[in-house]
Amino acid sequence: MQIALGVFFVAAALPKIADPPSFAHMVYNYRIVPGALINLMALTMPWIELFSGLALILGIWTGTARTLVAAMLVMFIVAISINLARHNVIDCGCFDVTAAGKTPEERLADMHWVILRDTGMLLMCAQLWWAARLNLQPTT
Amino acid sequence: MDWRRHFTEAATLIGAAVLCALISNAIAGRERKMLYSGTYPNATNVPVAVTTSTPVLSGAAAPPPPQVVAPPKPSGGEGAAAPPSTTTTTPPKKTEPIVVQAQQFPPHPDKPYIEIAYDAVKQLHDKGALFLDARRTSVYEQGHITGARSFSVWESDIDEKVNKLFEERGDPRQQAEPIVVYCSGGDCEDSHMLAQKLWGIQYNNVYVYKDGFPDWQKKGGPAHTGGAP
Repeated sequence: MQIALGVFFVAAALPKIADPPSFAHMVYNYRIVPGALINLMALTMPWIELFSGLALILGIWTGTARTLVAAMLVMFIVAISINLARHNVIDCGCFDVTAAGKTPEERLADMHWVILRDTGMLLMCAQLWWAARLNLQPTT
Repeated sequence: MDWRRHFTEAATLIGAAVLCALISNAIAGRERKMLYSGTYPNATNVPVAVTTSTPVLSGAAAPPPPQVVAPPKPSGGEGAAAPPSTTTTTPPKKTEPIVVQAQQFPPHPDKPYIEIAYDAVKQLHDKGALFLDARRTSVYEQGHITGARSFSVWESDIDEKVNKLFEERGDPRQQAEPIVVYCSGGDCEDSHMLAQKLWGIQYNNVYVYKDGFPDWQKKGGPAHTGGAP
């Protein structure tokens, strides 16, 4: 499960690293991040995703990587929920940073699906955290 | 849980990520490079030197305002019957699309842009108006309106390009000449951002082709591929 989570994050990071201006466009579309921070966020966040994903895959600093991944998932869920509440239909830019040419209805359906998927991944993080916690407890 | 260790590991991971981001941006090509400072998108920046050195167009330089026929038709109505030489403009709110079907395209210093449809765009293209493509350079190279220049608002050199344009066409009379900006139509905002930027440096006759390049292609307008206009 830990490796699967890591692979998800590495796969999500690579297109964003390859084309930061397109990812910045996606971040801008969310209408949440202040203008002055969009470039910085578009540049650094994909690398944080990549390093966290790699740490999970390689089994290095897994506790910290899991926390970072969970924090990012919460952030994504909140960001998409805010835009759903505002009726601002957007491309999530999760795995593809190019404009997909989808209809607003398709985008709306995607946004619901992304929230569901990210919640599932968050539950995976919780399960990993729980398993690690049980492993740490001394047996009686 | 050892919070200090946890914190150190997180700081190391984030620090390494930031370092890699900076290095990758430093070695990135023109299309991929990002600016670290300034507001985003780059289009909202107005080059300071240009703004301060240019007087605001007024008086003799400013032509009569366009004739306004309100309210605009809800369906757009490209081919709808309208009196010749009339211009339909948006209310000040600028949320509704505007359709210009005029034979003439007078400057509009009071608003950053006017949205126009294919017929008006084609008219301007035939007249040799300046066309600017606000999409990414890679998309521009795949196909653009013949004669259009690439002015992507999402790339780091947009200010440079706008300054260069200002050097070419800095005279108030030249600034009043029509400029058409376009992107991909639909909910694409890049052309509006570029129009805002041009308006910020006193280009007061900017038109946004609201349906963008897909519509141009659909209607058989002349297109060109590659990096040259």
